Amino acid sequence: MTARRLFFLAGVVTLCAWVLVPLYLIALAATGGSAVVHAWPKPFLPTGALAATLAPLARFLSIAGVWPALLTSVETALVCVAISLTLGLPAGYALARFRFRGAVLFRVLVLMTRAFPVAILALPLAVTFIHLGLYDTPVGVGLMHTALALPFTILVSASLFQAIPAELEEASWVFGCSRLGAFRRVVMPLALPGIAAAATFAFVISWNEVFAASVLTVRHRTLTAYLLAILPESPLDVQFTGAFLLVVPSVIFIFLVRRRLFSIWGIANR
Amino acid sequence: MTPKRMLLRLGPVCAVAALALAGPNLAAAAEPVWLSTQLRPIEEAQQVRTVILKDSPVKAQFIADQPASFTVRVEAEAKTGHHVVSLLGALHGELEPFVPLGLLQPLDSLVPRLAADKIPNSLMQLGKFGTQHQYYIPWMQATYIMAANRKALPYLPKGANLDHLTYDQLEQWAAAIHKATGQRMLGFPAGPSGLMHRFFEGYLYPAYTGGLVTTFRSPQAVAMWESFRKLWAQVNPNSTNYGFMQEPLLSGDVWIAFDHVARLQDALRKRPNDFVAFPAPSGPKGLAYMPVVAGLAIPKGAPHPAQAAALIAYLSKPSTQILTLKASSFFPADALPTPGNLEPGLKAEGDAVAKMLAAPDAKPALLPVGLGAKGGEFDKIFLDTFQRIVLRHEDPATVLKREGDAMQRILNDVHAKCWAPDPPSAGTCQVD
Repeated sequence: MTARRLFFLAGVVTLCAWVLVPLYLIALAATGGSAVVHAWPKPFLPTGALAATLAPLARFLSIAGVWPALLTSVETALVCVAISLTLGLPAGYALARFRFRGAVLFRVLVLMTRAFPVAILALPLAVTFIHLGLYDTPVGVGLMHTALALPFTILVSASLFQAIPAELEEASWVFGCSRLGAFRRVVMPLALPGIAAAATFAFVISWNEVFAASVLTVRHRTLTAYLLAILPESPLDVQFTGAFLLVVPSVIFIFLVRRRLFSIWGIANR
Repeated sequence: MTPKRMLLRLGPVCAVAALALAGPNLAAAAEPVWLSTQLRPIEEAQQVRTVILKDSPVKAQFIADQPASFTVRVEAEAKTGHHVVSLLGALHGELEPFVPLGLLQPLDSLVPRLAADKIPNSLMQLGKFGTQHQYYIPWMQATYIMAANRKALPYLPKGANLDHLTYDQLEQWAAAIHKATGQRMLGFPAGPSGLMHRFFEGYLYPAYTGGLVTTFRSPQAVAMWESFRKLWAQVNPNSTNYGFMQEPLLSGDVWIAFDHVARLQDALRKRPNDFVAFPAPSGPKGLAYMPVVAGLAIPKGAPHPAQAAALIAYLSKPSTQILTLKASSFFPADALPTPGNLEPGLKAEGDAVAKMLAAPDAKPALLPVGLGAKGGEFDKIFLDTFQRIVLRHEDPATVLKREGDAMQRILNDVHAKCWAPDPPSAGTCQVD
């Protein structure tokens, strides 16, 4: 019993270290500046006054244009989420519930949009967007990102609706619900965690995309196009600071939604 | 139930809010936009915005862009006639494809205004791309040099002069360190984001064969690859991952490194007492080096051409050029003495560059000229040749035969004439 418990604890410690040690090293390098990045052995805690440790972070955040770029990123990602859910959920529902000619072909075609590299489409896309007046706007980039995110939204929501028994829906019709009412009162609440997952996915795709965002904008760059695209060319300590500032929000986010996260997996795997 | 409802309602609200926020963005801003592929790293771009442009007579918006999206944007704006960008800052080779397409505005009227800035004629000529008109004004220049940790200096072979090493001495030096420490301490930027192809195009090939394209598969080239294969036995095997040599220098993974001045500067500026900078080695045909020139150009149809011209004049002024040098490791385009009060790391780089340019057997090799969009394929020939001969130990003569044919196909496609170090050609440059 004790041996098993010991094994169990060792496993827990290993798994925690697996995640926490890199995070710790990133935090250390982000706050220590270049002296710590290249030092070996590294100090256990950042040396020096608190102000000195926070200086690299403050300097990163004070780079001209970071905040407007952050706002543009959020706008773009929200446009992407809104459109891909509006278009993707009905398509996913149809794929899950109705048998129609060419359903398989449709699934493949949906994925085909990802087969074209954006780099080749860049020039025609930019020209078209300028003509349409969408160039250099968050809506324009959001549309482009929707095209990239939509296949995932459709396929994820299709498997999501497939996992919800059709009998539940039929039962609610028996009790007087209309088709729409049944969807709203029965299917939607069950699917909501999964839909949230699909939305998060679309958000992340938009948030991380660089090339389309930098080709289709000049003044109104998303954060990735504005900063992260050039991060690899900066000195290591700046890279660590950038990495730290990117990791922290996502760690906090995952910590806050950790229970929901499990329910997402639960429903998606059923 | 309530939070779910909230989510359902919030979605559309957010979308509408986003669309509303996008509205004001459509209005054109008054500041001219300066699009640049140079000074991209975060800290350098920050310097441009907060120091260089602070005292500028023209308030401009500096936007750094990757070379790929830079090209797409300039071409897209020209195609639609909807211009946002007023000033372009880019390398010689990045501006070149725009000239045959007629996308750049001739700047001949601007040249007399810059007379006081003493930009060397050789650089100004580059900005003409062999035509009658000035298409860009030289902005900054850079090149590739070597840097070494001071710990490596005791192992220098007898009789070797650090300021005039040969490739053979470099090999002996690295071998001596390898023997003493058990580590391979010579490094090259041969990783995916490294600039190793420039080493072959501007340094190794011209130094050993006196040419690049014409001598690509000459007997000297075969001998060169054989001796470079020998040198590679002393090179840190991690080199195929390195992008910017300043990082392995700072961490102590390598003691001797070759790279672009801007990619060594972090090590030399942060720890000037630990590192030395020195010229690239020389080969049987001399000390070959590759000058890199960045220029300022105005696209045809630019919304603010007069302000862009004023900005070029401001950026060419000696005082602004010094600010630019301090912001990056690019050196001024005008013929200025390196100021004495410069920080030690930058001064070390400047001195190494000056020594290299002044070497009696110095041999400038230009960045590939006239290849346009095929530049990447041309570079890949050298990287492929390197991989096959040095990393996979294939027979040099056979590999050079195959890769030379591929190179000729690229040159034929774009009808590129020979450029220095190759002698000028009447028609398309020929691989002998």
